[in-house]
Amino acid sequence: MATVRESASRVPALALFAIIAACGGGPDRETGGIIVVGMRNDFGAFNPIVNGDLYTGEMINYALFTPLIRYDADLNVAPHLAESWEEQGDSAIIFRLRRDVNWHDGERVTAHDVAFTFERAKAPESASLIGDAFINDVASVEIIDSFTVRFVYERPHAQALEDFWWAPAPRHLLEDVPAAELRNAPFNRQPTGSGPYRLVEWRARERVVLERNEDHAASLGGPPAVQRIVFRVVPEASTMLTELVTGGVHVDVPVLPEQVERIEAEPSLRLFAYPGRTVYYVGWNNARPPFDDARVRRGLALAIDRQQIIDALLAGQGSPANGPLPPWHPLYPSQVAPLEHSPAEADRLLAEAGWIDRDKDGVRENLAGEPLRFLLLAADDALRRSVVEILESQFRRIGARAEIRVTEFQTMLQQHRSRDFDAVFTNWVLDNFRASAAPFALFHSSQAAEPGSANRSAVKIPALDRLIEQGGASTDPGQQREIWAEFTAVLQREQPVTFMFWLNELAGIRSEIEGVEMDPRGELLTIRQWTLSRGTAARAALSGTALTESR
Amino acid sequence: MTSYVVRRLVGAVPLLLGVATLLFFILHLAPGDPTVALFGPNASASVIEQTRRNFGLDQPLHIQYVRWLGALLTGDFGISFEQGRPVADIIRGALPNTLILTGTALILMFVIGIAIGTVQAVRQYSATDNVLSVIALFFYSMPSFWLALMMMLVFSLKASQWGWPIAFPPTGITGVEYDFFSVGGKIVDRIMHMVLPVTTLTLALAAGVARYTRGQMLEIVRQDYIRTARAKGLPEKTVIARHALRNSLIPIITLIGLYLPFLFSGTVFVEAIFAWPGMGRVIYDGILQRDYPVVMATSFVFAALTILGSLAADVLYAVADPRIRYERS
Repeated sequence: MATVRESASRVPALALFAIIAACGGGPDRETGGIIVVGMRNDFGAFNPIVNGDLYTGEMINYALFTPLIRYDADLNVAPHLAESWEEQGDSAIIFRLRRDVNWHDGERVTAHDVAFTFERAKAPESASLIGDAFINDVASVEIIDSFTVRFVYERPHAQALEDFWWAPAPRHLLEDVPAAELRNAPFNRQPTGSGPYRLVEWRARERVVLERNEDHAASLGGPPAVQRIVFRVVPEASTMLTELVTGGVHVDVPVLPEQVERIEAEPSLRLFAYPGRTVYYVGWNNARPPFDDARVRRGLALAIDRQQIIDALLAGQGSPANGPLPPWHPLYPSQVAPLEHSPAEADRLLAEAGWIDRDKDGVRENLAGEPLRFLLLAADDALRRSVVEILESQFRRIGARAEIRVTEFQTMLQQHRSRDFDAVFTNWVLDNFRASAAPFALFHSSQAAEPGSANRSAVKIPALDRLIEQGGASTDPGQQREIWAEFTAVLQREQPVTFMFWLNELAGIRSEIEGVEMDPRGELLTIRQWTLSRGTAARAALSGTALTESR
Repeated sequence: MTSYVVRRLVGAVPLLLGVATLLFFILHLAPGDPTVALFGPNASASVIEQTRRNFGLDQPLHIQYVRWLGALLTGDFGISFEQGRPVADIIRGALPNTLILTGTALILMFVIGIAIGTVQAVRQYSATDNVLSVIALFFYSMPSFWLALMMMLVFSLKASQWGWPIAFPPTGITGVEYDFFSVGGKIVDRIMHMVLPVTTLTLALAAGVARYTRGQMLEIVRQDYIRTARAKGLPEKTVIARHALRNSLIPIITLIGLYLPFLFSGTVFVEAIFAWPGMGRVIYDGILQRDYPVVMATSFVFAALTILGSLAADVLYAVADPRIRYERS
């Protein structure tokens, strides 16, 4: 009786395995090559005007759309949608567009699209980051002919050509959408772009499928080599590594510092480490004692041993920061060294400011007998939690007590933004390469009392204001370099915030993927040139992850 | 029976509204700002302020509440801040994925749990009983995220590295080449992707069901009518299947209603680990990003499903036990 029942139940199981074996998990048609990119979070809006997300911005600039200009490896501006330009002194610029770039629906990309995008981005109701970060010094646009467009500047300013690192959106598809509604336009989820890839499917929190644009302009390199690129959302870092090792994903960004060893040990994987755009810093509340005294800020900054943190927590994948300009930036002031670790100098400065351990309990007090104690805020992630713990012990050694408060990101930000904090450990990400952008946002006194501004440390230092304004207005690169060097020197002296380190970006890439280059310009920089080498494209062990050809 | 179901459904409406209202205020009073997730740190205050205006977040809270409630009563869940499209569309995309996961897990968990529990009860204190007890207890006590990672480690990573005949895909709902498969291939691809998450969800809860079933069965097999059934010469199989099992099922049905919330909260973890694009992920990301319309709508749907689940359990009582009647006497 029992045996009969058992064998009966085995039959469907065997049949299932037979089906699986027969299908072998392989595709039934030629796929033409699929590259799979893993990512933690889904994309934002594929609309250059309203997008606010950096990675989505890369997708817009490098895969789906065509910006007016691009950056070369030395961060010099190079032609892209604009094949040439003519600067009219410091007051205007004329761009001549390529005549062979089409939208994915076949319409030509023209000066009308450029002007339309500019005007929409300029409208306050759009809440556009192009309007906010790129074209604030550009006053107006004028269409000269279908492929020639002229922009007039508000005032002479630094790096003016870089105002135009954004991609036009198609006027014929978006002109009926009111500016305030742009964020909710259906276009954003099924965009018609002009780049080397077009979007064919977007399943929220699952995948975005790109297919090569067969019609991609020859003057921009023509159609890419790979048929499809699939972006898969895998929120969990360790799961993503499993996918990478087993071949379910070819490119994994970002990799965590603690995963570096695993990737380096795996022969089928390559580790990409490249300087990034993220700087970590300790923000002091300049409006609140004791941090209203530059000697206290500098004293605490000198107590920090950056190199120890970089070696211990970042697996060496970082470099000490001297200010908001990264070491790879053309205007980086290399003559100003990042602050040294010097407990003796810290002691001298704190004593000079009146903070001395008067009752010998290991904590400094001021004349009124108040101890040097403060709250150190950080958002809850593994890196930040570890860094604030090391900071706490480094501060303790010079007689300052930091009480750590680690909270969920939004809660931390709420306190930081409303300037309701003593000290905070957090980061800043550059979303463009204009030297004055971060200094103005972080340190200009006009922003110090503005609700919700980025000057969350309430910094009001006249010398910094003057240099930020000069740096933004100068049109001479040599002079700009001098200004930013002086700015950085003042920053080192005043320490309104204490810059800690630039974090390297880490990516894990399977060795069958070729043509990948990543640098501060982004992870998807060379996405048009990515290829899948056929020789090593043996089927991955997992079903549904075969790499190139069918059977 | 019909009038009972209608009464229960009508009674659920104020309950749902109460839950939703409570949620609305808890969510809006929690620190955080939906616009933060949309921009990097570089966005200026004016852009953020404008976005808040576009979202209607500049209005006083009671106005926002009245607007939201008015829209909800007309069946409008609003527009997601993050995705810029109707929340109803988001739910329409995610809910089937979650239901197929939880539905399969629910069925498997009761089938496997009841089967194991019955075997254990029939062979009480035998080696089989003891071994199954230990295994059930093990899975019952293991946290589901650990189990999920172990399943992935063994049946996906190691299975492929050691060249096992079958290795399961660790994440996703379909493979990237899904579009290129034939119909049969598509079905197999989907089943392969379901194995690990469904097993993870099923194991712990099935172990619980097995414990309950065993206890119930042991209670029942000591009843007089079981002795009578045996005494009149019925085969043991009939005694167990028809007389004992059926009677011991009644309390088990309660578990369906009780386990539903567990199952839904379990999917939040399981969906995150296995990158399954379902409601759990929608709700989790929604909370982190303070995407109010999304969190409100998804919680509403989960609350409704839980209420429906317990109603279904009550109705099943009557089906399983003719003595239970819901009509007014």
